[in-house]
Amino acid sequence: MAKFIVRRLLLMVLTMFLVTIIVFIILEITPGNIARRILGPFATPEQEESFRRQLGLDQPAYMRYLNFLIGSDWRAERLVGMPLRRIKRPGTEFYEWWATNKDDALIRWKLEGEDLIALRLQANGTVVESIDNDRWQTDEAGASTFWGIDLHDRAVLWTRGGQGYWVRSKGGGWWVEKAGGPQKWIPLQKGILRGDPGISVQTGRPVAGTLFRRLQNSGILAGLAFVIVMPLALVLGLIAGLNEGKTLDRILSIGGLAGTSTPSFATGIFLVLIFAIWLRLVPGVTVFASQRAILEKPEMLVLPVLTLALVELGYVLRITRASMVEVMRSDYIRTAFLKGLPYWRIVFKHALRNALMAPITVIMLHVNWLMGGLVVVEAIFGFPGLGNYIYKAGLWKDVFAVEAAAVVMVFLAVGTQLVADIIYTFLNPRIRYA
Amino acid sequence: MATGEQASPPGLATRRSLGKRFRDAIAPILASKVALVGLGLVSFWVVVAIFAPLITPYGPLEHDLEAMNLGPSLEHLLGADNLGRDLWARLIYGARTILILAPLSVFCALAVGATLGLISGYFGGWTDEVVMRLLDAIMAFPAILLYLIIIFALGPSATNVVIAITIAGTPGIARLVRSLTLDIRTREYIAAAKLRGENPFYIMFVEILPNARGPIIVDAMLRIGYAVIAIGTLGFLGVGLPPPAPDWGSMVAQGRIYIWINPWPVLWPSLAISSLVIGLNLFADGLREETMRYQ
Repeated sequence: MAKFIVRRLLLMVLTMFLVTIIVFIILEITPGNIARRILGPFATPEQEESFRRQLGLDQPAYMRYLNFLIGSDWRAERLVGMPLRRIKRPGTEFYEWWATNKDDALIRWKLEGEDLIALRLQANGTVVESIDNDRWQTDEAGASTFWGIDLHDRAVLWTRGGQGYWVRSKGGGWWVEKAGGPQKWIPLQKGILRGDPGISVQTGRPVAGTLFRRLQNSGILAGLAFVIVMPLALVLGLIAGLNEGKTLDRILSIGGLAGTSTPSFATGIFLVLIFAIWLRLVPGVTVFASQRAILEKPEMLVLPVLTLALVELGYVLRITRASMVEVMRSDYIRTAFLKGLPYWRIVFKHALRNALMAPITVIMLHVNWLMGGLVVVEAIFGFPGLGNYIYKAGLWKDVFAVEAAAVVMVFLAVGTQLVADIIYTFLNPRIRYA
Repeated sequence: MATGEQASPPGLATRRSLGKRFRDAIAPILASKVALVGLGLVSFWVVVAIFAPLITPYGPLEHDLEAMNLGPSLEHLLGADNLGRDLWARLIYGARTILILAPLSVFCALAVGATLGLISGYFGGWTDEVVMRLLDAIMAFPAILLYLIIIFALGPSATNVVIAITIAGTPGIARLVRSLTLDIRTREYIAAAKLRGENPFYIMFVEILPNARGPIIVDAMLRIGYAVIAIGTLGFLGVGLPPPAPDWGSMVAQGRIYIWINPWPVLWPSLAISSLVIGLNLFADGLREETMRYQ
């Protein structure tokens, strides 16, 4: 058993690794880039090029994959020559990167004209600025360069009096050219293995924080749907299975088939039509004050939960029915009948346990399907969940965000599968894995 | 379970007359009421799709500005959408798209998946290990995630929808074919073919594949149903066929904006997808039950 679990865990690690590579390759080899999407149609090629380099998109693909996987800070540390530290900006979800000076003070730099200005973080949270031109390193050709950390959490190679570059000024999003300064950028991140898949280029927020909250929201949605649908589907499936061939079974089976055959978006729209438009009972969209506050307006959760529940209902019902029918036909149940045991005792004591085996494993394996439902339901209702996040990030080709969300989704799918297999060996002692 | 009939050498099958073979092939369909109902539903859509221009006087992109957002009437049987396009016309031209794309994508997945499954199952060893681990990784993706990533990467178009569904469907088919191959590989006629000195690919595609067809066909039927749902879903999410193509999913997405004043453009395509998928599922269910009974 232990050997089986270890083997499966190793396979899972291999699978996750392959998944990250597959996603990265798919997003990498295809045309279109996020810089162009953000800048819009009016940016000049020079501006786009400058912006791409500031995002670190000019680095080779394998380098960016490594950045995503294990971070870029260790590489930057070597260039800067000082240990780097990530600290949380108080009261926000944002992080700041600082270099640690010899005297243990945190330090960053900016360039003004030809002067390097050092910003030192004080114990009380304030920043003291001072000119720090001693750090320029001049080579034989007389060019002065310096690797440091800038105010936007990137490791930067500054050159004294170097070429111009383009930055977006704060007001209005217009681009201004700045003379002199940074030539190379490495956006700092710790890598997904260390819990920091990077910054979403589209929103400018750390992927990890947003993703976590979205995961919570989706978890609440899926959890509520699960709590409603599972008892219902199992009971209805058992009833249908016990009445095999009768009218009640026909109605339930056809209902179940109709449920699984109707795409989730159609189910959702029907529900909106009935409950939000004709009956006006509950709102047809979800609008929350913030992503954190989805439980503040429970009435907005009704339709998304109901849709997700209906999407799942038919499938589990059909599996349970089939399983019950099979068990009721088996020899040991016939023996029980021939022994003259009462009907309900046979059903509850003999049939139920075996009949529930199949649906329970199927439910666990069903997470893949559930996610399909989640993406659609969140799109219909504008629900701030994981599916919505990956959809938006994908539209923007926001590589780190898509990749991190994909990793989370696949991890959930593969993880539940593993758990299902392990549970199954306990439920069904006949199965022994080598 | 499958002995005798299934394991007979291919020479025997060719000796039977063509008519008899056809009757044998459709016998399970005729024997099952469920399969017949399913076949009826699917044929309905196939027929209206083929004869689309004869059935409706309108084109799918034709505007009738006086009918904008009107409900069903004699002039427009199912009503018209926000641009005054006849919904019945859009629906049956949409059936054309989906009835081409869904089987096509399943066929592509079948071609790739069956080849990989055969190779994996027949050769075994390292080939098997590498192919299956790679396919496991693809299978680990929730299907919708794979569709979205591929389409976001390649851009929304009919071809790319087919590519996405092909990639997502391949691992499942490969697994099925591999398990069937592992079973059939041990039969005597395969040993005989090896002794004759046949090429491995001949054995795979001529000896093994035809004898594994039963479960593959039933599986493919179900897959066409999923593909219909997938194409609809992608259309609904706005990453399927680009507008103004009459695609059922995007019809729903578009009609959604005007759902408060005119629910028909949303209702009809949803019902169309459901009925087509129910038809395919019933057909596959009936077929499976009957073929199992025959064996």
